[in-house]
Amino acid sequence: MVMPSTLAMILAGGRVDELGVLTHYRPKSAVPFGGFARVIDFPLTNLMRSGIERIAILSQYRSYSLVNHIGTGAAWDMIGRHRGISILPPFKDYENPHWYRGSADAVHQNLDFVRYHKPSEILILSGDHIYEMDYRDMIRFHNEHDADLTAAFIKVKKEDAALRFGVAEIGDEYSEGGSLLSYEEKPADPKGEWASLTVLCFKPEVLYKVLGKNQAAASYEFGRDILPMMVQEGMKVLGYKFRGYWGYTRTVNEYWQTSMDLLGSNPLIDLEQWGIRTNLEHRDIRDCQPLKVGSQGVLDNSLAYNGCIIEGTVKNSILFPGVRVEKGAVVENSVLFFNTLVKEGGQLRQVVSDVNTTFGANAQVGISSIGGSSGRVTVIGWNNHVPDNMTVGCGCSVAPGIEEEKWPENGLEDMEELQ
Amino acid sequence: MREAKDALVLLLAGGIGSRLNILVGHRAKPAVPFGGLYRIIDFSLSNVMKSGLTRVGVLTQYKPLSLMRHIQNGEAWDFTGRTRGIKILPPRTGEKDSDWYKGTADAIRQNIDFIRGNQSEQVVVLSGDHIYQMDFDEMITYHREKNAGVTIGMMVVPKSEIHQFGAGIVDDENRIVDWEEKPKEPRTNLASMGIYVFDTEYLLKALSCDREEVDFGMHIIPRAIEEKQVYAYPFYGYWRDVGTIQSYWDANMDVLRADSGISPEEWGIRPNTEADGRAMDRAPARFAQGCTVQSSMISAGSVIEGTVVNSVLSPGVIVRKGAVVRDSVILEDSVIEANAEVDLAVCDKQVHIGEGAVVGYGDEEAKSISNREYPTHLYSGITLIGKGAAIPAKMRIGRNCIIRPDEKGREKRVFPAELEHSGIF
Repeated sequence: MVMPSTLAMILAGGRVDELGVLTHYRPKSAVPFGGFARVIDFPLTNLMRSGIERIAILSQYRSYSLVNHIGTGAAWDMIGRHRGISILPPFKDYENPHWYRGSADAVHQNLDFVRYHKPSEILILSGDHIYEMDYRDMIRFHNEHDADLTAAFIKVKKEDAALRFGVAEIGDEYSEGGSLLSYEEKPADPKGEWASLTVLCFKPEVLYKVLGKNQAAASYEFGRDILPMMVQEGMKVLGYKFRGYWGYTRTVNEYWQTSMDLLGSNPLIDLEQWGIRTNLEHRDIRDCQPLKVGSQGVLDNSLAYNGCIIEGTVKNSILFPGVRVEKGAVVENSVLFFNTLVKEGGQLRQVVSDVNTTFGANAQVGISSIGGSSGRVTVIGWNNHVPDNMTVGCGCSVAPGIEEEKWPENGLEDMEELQ
Repeated sequence: MREAKDALVLLLAGGIGSRLNILVGHRAKPAVPFGGLYRIIDFSLSNVMKSGLTRVGVLTQYKPLSLMRHIQNGEAWDFTGRTRGIKILPPRTGEKDSDWYKGTADAIRQNIDFIRGNQSEQVVVLSGDHIYQMDFDEMITYHREKNAGVTIGMMVVPKSEIHQFGAGIVDDENRIVDWEEKPKEPRTNLASMGIYVFDTEYLLKALSCDREEVDFGMHIIPRAIEEKQVYAYPFYGYWRDVGTIQSYWDANMDVLRADSGISPEEWGIRPNTEADGRAMDRAPARFAQGCTVQSSMISAGSVIEGTVVNSVLSPGVIVRKGAVVRDSVILEDSVIEANAEVDLAVCDKQVHIGEGAVVGYGDEEAKSISNREYPTHLYSGITLIGKGAAIPAKMRIGRNCIIRPDEKGREKRVFPAELEHSGIF
């Protein structure tokens, strides 16, 4: 048996402004998702199930939450003599005084680590997406055609891709994909209809070379700089066409929409079937008791994990461990992170609430002041206490840990921000 | 700091617990699942951990595999480290002893080498099959204050129940002056919880007297009382011996009630869900549109499309559309198919109730028809479904029935269309 020797590097450093208050104190990859897991659990579970045994995580922004979450790596069976997850934080040395200046720079700064492992191919992944993928199919495709780089793409509507994704045109040579005919990063008017998943498989020698060359440039991103450079220089770049589900969580509204894809009678994301793993040690969720429903409790089209106590009504929502919904409270179309408390009579509609937040009695949150639904999500940062009877409109954003006296007496209008 | 923390814990986990019937057909009583995510022994182990005690021996005998797998290296209860640890102590042949454990005292006697090898001032002897929360550190302090040879944890129970317990009669100082083992005529309402703190020296001496003395309640304690060495440690919280189907079901239902005094998570009881592989990486429980769930506990990985009322569900239980589960305890990965009904039942793991089947039909009168082979096990209406049993669609099962577990390799059973009250199949 040939030992698999793919090295996977997960880009988990970034803070993404659009996720706002959810990433004030954690990198995007550590944002909770799916009622018990974190976003990064998706690439990690994919890697585990693809038989890849050596993983590095490039982490820079507020990495504590992520370090804590990865733990020993045992949750993904990534523990053993030749298996493991290494977290690579930025560092200084004689030559290099920088933070990671971009995704490509982050990998470049750790090339000694990469070379040490003598990988047969290097898989660069984003830690930010919700998808199920067996990377082995793509690696096989990459090796079969002796590509310098193979990048995975998913078909999207052109108008949806504009300004959001890296977009490519891909040839039809093979059933799995073909040559990259063009690549544009976040174009206003995309030529192609294939959006990049930020799943990149490199031939090691090629990666070392292009990263070295990129150091002379002023920008150091795989999507913006490395990919276009390689296409332009006529290197063998292949597009691999991915046909599964791909959930995007760049903005709060996208995050909410992707979460809602977990619900319904035919959910687009089936966590149980995907066999998603998370670190149960993180926040001690393995010590929660089963979810408790009271005599008046209602749960409808919802997901809820152990440790929740439901006395009120929960509809079309996702509840993380330790969420409590008291009598008379109504939670609809919402995502409530760990240990959120909704007190008696509280009403939440289309809300994303970060951890340890309390909604006071009869608080009305996410309910438009002009009536009707604007379709905009209201997001409340962690460790907040929304005062009793407070009204918060839709599309609002509240920063973490707002002091009590800062809450305006007559509430927040639609789209207001509280900082 | 050292003081009380030095005590050595011996956990008796060997008993068959035969009154739990088919629930202990393939596992020891302390390993029986409880409260959705726990096993009975988690309560004792977590109490030990929270009392700051760090050295534990678990005395096993009867079908210990499921128990051993559950305990693993003890990490779930922080029993890992250089000087902390949990050891499984199965019966073993030696120079003199070549026998199974003959009783509680005999089991401890056969592990005297373990006691001597782990220097201690006190030895705490516990059962692994009780549901309670207790601080043994406090009890050890009390034991020292009393300068006792043995201190026994005791609680007040209704006089009508005293016949199930060891009963102690105390003086004003809580010194036990008389002892009756399972008395028919109650003289006291103070019942032994099977929790003992021994002075190590006193224990070693008591065990060396007479090898025929194999039981604490019958032999060792009565003699210690004669020697005026025994004190009662009064306990006032929630405590249940879940050694019968009825008490097992009652205690599970207690977890559902806010006022029952039992609250595993608040008590800091730790399950060891990782022992069963990825049991707890299961996705959050899914509550489908139009489902009804009331006064129940539901564990991760469950899917509820039908109705669940007043029941405790372990991980991965599926209740299909139109199915109703009421007043029941359903263990891991059981499936209740569409329009089936389960009323007042305990279903072991991986049970499959076919479409439209009924488990527990019949009115109050039917509930009083005790099981024909085990009238002392099933008499209040509870029906037991054994591990892996697949009840065919439309089958009807009455009250106080037992469906034996499905045995691998055995020819497929042909179920009757109906099993009347008190039946066994």
